[in-house]
Amino acid sequence: MSFFKKNNSQNLSIQEVFLKSEDFKQIQFVNEKTNKPFTLTYFSTLIDEKIFQENILSYLQNREFHTFEDIKKILPIQEVELIDDNKKLEEKLLNGDILLTFEAFKDEVLSIPCKKEYTRSMSVPEVEFSVVGPKEAFVESINQNINLIRKRLPIKELIIKEYEVGKLSKTRVAVLHIEGLTNEEDVKTIRQRIENIDFDHLNDSSYIEQIIADNTNSPFPQFLDTERPDRVTSILAQGKIAVLVDGSPHALIAPTTLVEFFGAFEDYFLNWMISSFFRLLRLFAVTFSILVTPMYVAVLTYHYEIIPQDLIGILVASRRQIPFPPILEVLILETTIELLREAGARLPTKVGQTIGIVGGIVIGTASVEAGLTSNVLLIFIALAALASFTTPVYKIGNTIRLMRFPFIILADIWGLLGIAIAFCVLLTHLLRLTSLGRPYLEPIYPLRISDFKDSIIRLPFYKQSKRPLYSRTNNVNRFSSNEAQKKKDIDE
Amino acid sequence: MKDVIPDRKKIAPFLLFYILSTMQVGVGILGYQNFVSQFAGYDAWISVILSGLFIMGILYLIFKMLEIADGDLLDIHTYIFGRKLSKILTSIFILYYCLIVITIIRNYIEMVQVWMFPIIQVFWLALTILIMCIYIVKSGFRTIVGICFFSFLLPFVIAPVFLFTLPYADFSNMLPIMDHSIVDIIRGVKGMMFTITGFEMILFFYPFIKDPRTSRKWGYFSILATIILYLYLIVLTFAYFPPDQLVKNIWPTLTMWKIIRFPFIERFEYIGIAAWLLIILPNVCLSLWIASRLCKRIFKVSQKGSLYFIVLVCLVATSFLLTREQVTFVTDIAGQMSFYFIFVYIPFLFIATLIAKKVRNHGKGS
Repeated sequence: MSFFKKNNSQNLSIQEVFLKSEDFKQIQFVNEKTNKPFTLTYFSTLIDEKIFQENILSYLQNREFHTFEDIKKILPIQEVELIDDNKKLEEKLLNGDILLTFEAFKDEVLSIPCKKEYTRSMSVPEVEFSVVGPKEAFVESINQNINLIRKRLPIKELIIKEYEVGKLSKTRVAVLHIEGLTNEEDVKTIRQRIENIDFDHLNDSSYIEQIIADNTNSPFPQFLDTERPDRVTSILAQGKIAVLVDGSPHALIAPTTLVEFFGAFEDYFLNWMISSFFRLLRLFAVTFSILVTPMYVAVLTYHYEIIPQDLIGILVASRRQIPFPPILEVLILETTIELLREAGARLPTKVGQTIGIVGGIVIGTASVEAGLTSNVLLIFIALAALASFTTPVYKIGNTIRLMRFPFIILADIWGLLGIAIAFCVLLTHLLRLTSLGRPYLEPIYPLRISDFKDSIIRLPFYKQSKRPLYSRTNNVNRFSSNEAQKKKDIDE
Repeated sequence: MKDVIPDRKKIAPFLLFYILSTMQVGVGILGYQNFVSQFAGYDAWISVILSGLFIMGILYLIFKMLEIADGDLLDIHTYIFGRKLSKILTSIFILYYCLIVITIIRNYIEMVQVWMFPIIQVFWLALTILIMCIYIVKSGFRTIVGICFFSFLLPFVIAPVFLFTLPYADFSNMLPIMDHSIVDIIRGVKGMMFTITGFEMILFFYPFIKDPRTSRKWGYFSILATIILYLYLIVLTFAYFPPDQLVKNIWPTLTMWKIIRFPFIERFEYIGIAAWLLIILPNVCLSLWIASRLCKRIFKVSQKGSLYFIVLVCLVATSFLLTREQVTFVTDIAGQMSFYFIFVYIPFLFIATLIAKKVRNHGKGS
């Protein structure tokens, strides 16, 4: 018995394909009151057994029904509907609906939703952990994620538009923005880009990012990704756009700037002076992390003169026994650190820690004692690695670690001049980059002094009466700045 | 003939400030003190101020011309001389800007050779810099302006560092004031020219500015800023060097850097020279952009293709300049050309434009 309409162009009926799977069930039952048979079709792995037994089957067997309306009345379930379209039937079946065929409605099939959704319970944010502030993190279920966001933004202007992306994965992708606030042009652009995605299987939001980024051949992430619902809502309130993907605990945010990657969300929970200090510290850490080893190579290969006399003594003493040129020494140690990081990332936490200790302390000390690397360099490399981990967003940290290598190689070729060349190329690349068509280096270039209030530093909230120029919002004012200023006046 | 530039490719008017400031600060700033004081001696700071005033005057003429002809230099030429002659005249400027590129790059490499790497091969360094320039120029005018911005920041950030020379400064070096004749001081202005040229490039990218009229004040501000920088530096130089010693220094600015010491850095000029790459970069890029754009507009070829060709020519020419004498020779030619271009050709062009305007209006009126 097949309820799928036969299609001549298809050799194999859809039913037959379904029957190849063993969790596909098609069972005939009999209603006890009317003694009429009815058939239920479903995937046993997709439906909720409990609902099926208690809320569907028992009612269908024990209550009298003759028409579709009768069933609708007796079943304690919403969204029961009659369907006559093959494609839609297939979709419903694969979404965990139970299909009911019954002689009263010949061409149509009744679909009863009975989906079983397994969700992980919410956990503490692990990538973007903060000591103070909310401890919620996204999970893999898009419904739960949207729930978390809606809870923090209970306004009707929060618009959610959903798409189904991926020919095989049929992943749900949601685009969120606040109407009247977010730039319409941006919303249109990102919707258009998501509609244009032609890909078979999407597993995570990072797939989307890599497909729709402005420049896909750049090591720099052009969408900010976060696992914190509070961060998403606060950024939505700035007039930006968030993209959620089903099955991904990370939301994407666009447009973004390079500077935004160095701001942790915790910065907003701390006093503005402290958070500004932290932000400057991170920026310094990144510069240090990129430049310290190339500088070491440049200085020790070509420009001894640059180092003051007292310092050069220490450097020379530490390098006296080393058989390798500085470039080789640096590359060996940099690779070791990268190996340690990679091994630590792939292993379970406890083993990873052990690896860290064994690698970091044992290999480090041993290589210095064996005279393979200088201990000064070991300090620099360890500091540089440490500094690269201060970036609050994981993805930019990876970029920064990669950035070091071209710098090191050019430093070996032309010393400081090589570093300058690498820097100029990097600068040009960053100048060319855009995120959703907005300049990536803002507010440094184009220079927008007013946007500095929440970028490299974070000024107090009463100074932040305007939304960033960068997101080109329709409504610039967050609150009335006059009120805030008045309250700050001298006591009389 | 006239091509319309879409709005999204245009730049905000205030960016003119960065572009013009950057264009006027190049390799020249590291050694201009000698060129200026050659004739004017330690009264050369007056020449610096005078040259600033002259340039403001010239910039005024340029803005006036551009307004009348409504376009770039090619349009001005067309306005005055008609289509055919204008093409011939403008194509000279392609060569001129090639020469500028060659001079800048070769002078920079010369400096690198003398201070950092005596054995570095001119060809390889020139190749690297030019490839970088292709990358920038290909990204379009807006990216060049971005580089200009960062390049603008650098000298102004470095400038306070020169205050390290104050303990060794003797400002009485400059006394008595007005020791030299007016003619000598004017000749000093001429010596300043190669260093301070670059502002005339506005003749070529003027149509790319969004609201040209408001951009003018930024043009004048930029000259003010650079003249202040040059003045500041020359006063410090004169205070630091006794006259006899200054003559022996080709790059007095670099020599001054030598005195700067931090607990972890000695010989600051090494970092300075490396960083100076960022300062010459926009000059080279904008010159290449102008030359290739002129090719596109005059010969109707693609800008990309002509860019590659120009870069190749510049690379070959740069690699053939091997000795210090050759470099000085080419720099002198470029300096002379800049001088005549700015102080002779532009006023002439201005008068010609006025006459052409009169004639046209007369024709219209009758």
